[in-house]
Amino acid sequence: MNQFKKIISLSFRDYSHEWRMSGCFVLALASVLAPMMILFGLKFGIVSSMITGLIENPGNREIRSVGSGSYEQAWFDKYAGRKEVAFIIPKTRSLAATIQLKSKNAGRIYSTELFATAEKDPLLEALKVKPEGFYQVILSDSIANKLNVQKGERIDGSLVRQFRGKRERVHIDLQVLDVAPANVISRSVAFVSLELLLATESFKDGRAVTELNWSGNINDKEVRDYPSFRMYARSIRNVENLVNELEQDGINVKANIAEIKTVQSIDQNLSIIFWIIACVGAVGFSFSLGASLWANVDRKRKELSILRLVGFQGGKIILFPVLQSMYTGLLGWLLAVLIYLIAEQTINQLLAPNLEIEQVICYLLPQHFFWALGLTMFVAATAAILGGIRASRIEPSDGLRDI
Amino acid sequence: MSVIYSLKNVVKSRVVDGAGFSLVVPSVEIKAQENVALVGHSGCGKSTLLDMMALALHPDSADEFSLTPDPEEIYDVDTLWKKKKQNVLAKIRKQHIGYVLQQGGLLPYLTVRENIELPRKLMNMPDDDSTRSIARVMGIHRQLDKLPGLLSAGERQRVAFTRALSHRPSILLADEPTASLDPITARKIMAVVMELVKGLKITMITASHDWAHVYKMDLRSLHQEAEVIDNGNVYQSTFRD
Repeated sequence: MNQFKKIISLSFRDYSHEWRMSGCFVLALASVLAPMMILFGLKFGIVSSMITGLIENPGNREIRSVGSGSYEQAWFDKYAGRKEVAFIIPKTRSLAATIQLKSKNAGRIYSTELFATAEKDPLLEALKVKPEGFYQVILSDSIANKLNVQKGERIDGSLVRQFRGKRERVHIDLQVLDVAPANVISRSVAFVSLELLLATESFKDGRAVTELNWSGNINDKEVRDYPSFRMYARSIRNVENLVNELEQDGINVKANIAEIKTVQSIDQNLSIIFWIIACVGAVGFSFSLGASLWANVDRKRKELSILRLVGFQGGKIILFPVLQSMYTGLLGWLLAVLIYLIAEQTINQLLAPNLEIEQVICYLLPQHFFWALGLTMFVAATAAILGGIRASRIEPSDGLRDI
Repeated sequence: MSVIYSLKNVVKSRVVDGAGFSLVVPSVEIKAQENVALVGHSGCGKSTLLDMMALALHPDSADEFSLTPDPEEIYDVDTLWKKKKQNVLAKIRKQHIGYVLQQGGLLPYLTVRENIELPRKLMNMPDDDSTRSIARVMGIHRQLDKLPGLLSAGERQRVAFTRALSHRPSILLADEPTASLDPITARKIMAVVMELVKGLKITMITASHDWAHVYKMDLRSLHQEAEVIDNGNVYQSTFRD
């Protein structure tokens, strides 16, 4: 125990006495480690989120039905329950799914496509609200601009039909809950509840909608079916299987399979490139650190021999270079973290104005720093233990005399 | 006086590039408190023999290699080496042996005082005045707080002697301790060391290539004979009583 404590203090005294040499080791370590951390910061920051954005882009996950079919509620329930399906909702006939929108801020009336929406709609993921009932709507950015309205304002929606030879028009007072960003949907679309979409179709087909006091034919025994649907896979990896499955059921669908393949291969290639760089970097880092610490043990042979001559036991002598390597590892890591943090701040602040969305370009989590420390300490200790075992095996007399 | 070192047919060989060197000690006994000189020219194996006596180098073979630093403690050094009892050897070195090298051997990052006290600290010996008094006798009491790098070669050797004596070993080994010093300084230092060794009742074994010097100090000397054997391939050096 006494020898153990003594070795700790001696190794530290020697390390600080030789501060120039120690400083060089620390600098050498930091100059290899810091760029690797920056590389990983970029990989973890901008590259990951760009790839995730491409992979999870709703446009790439969408499966569109082609032509007109007939799907019952049970069919929708079956697909909604599947874990590969993120979202599915019925569509009505496209002619029935239009509404005329008018705002007091714009001179024209715009005929706009209606989309039913609900919880978990990938197109409205960024928004916190969902339209419910008959009087709420979320507008796409494009139509909101044309109508010159903003979140919270009210607009007038109207529907027209030819019923029993007469032209009829009904109005609904709609509240704009929010505006969907242009990067999610570029077309002019009004998102409403399924209820309102179905009410619209009923009205156009000449049926009555009692909730809205719209008159027409009453046919309450009707079982509803839908001609079409809007479906999103959980991930682009599920798209191809779902498409195959639907086509086996005789349903004609379309998806961006070619684009998905491109995105997947970009993701794969970038990952391969990063891992190659990371592996080469880690191996290079290990060798450069290992070599300098191994050389340090050789340089210390005479001193280690003297310590053994004075009576330190061989096993404890190993601690001397190992502890010194630990000091180098810890200080080098600290310096690398400092360099990395400065680089991270600089990169993020310099490039932040060029980004559209709020996004960090270079970023590491706290545990990444500890992984770097762990790797550094492991390599440092291994190299020093290997060198130290060699030093402790030679006889004390071998290192005593200078050549 | 009891016998402290007893060596019989101790052999240590080194072969480098086919040219060999062989050290042979047929029979040597050193008694407690004796002052012995190993005399011979450079390269004759003095340091090798001294390293073996310091338990820092293992003999190739030995009929006997015993160390009796204390009448109650008898160590069969050859067997300890063969059984790889490194820690026992380290403990004997720590307790009983002080070793002074031709030069260097001080730890550059410790002050003179810390260098001197290191062997005492390792043995958990209490701080007392003895180190200070040895330092005073050796003439280095004013340098105690300096680093060795700031001292002259002579001062460093004085510190090395003080460190070798600080933990009161029973044996002091010195390998050409004054070879790198000028003759006047060398003589002064050795005179002080001889006095200390006598006062502390220590066995001293010194290696030296300086015949005249040794005779003046009135030491018992082990003489070295050299011969070339094995068709001129091996240089054999023999130390005799």
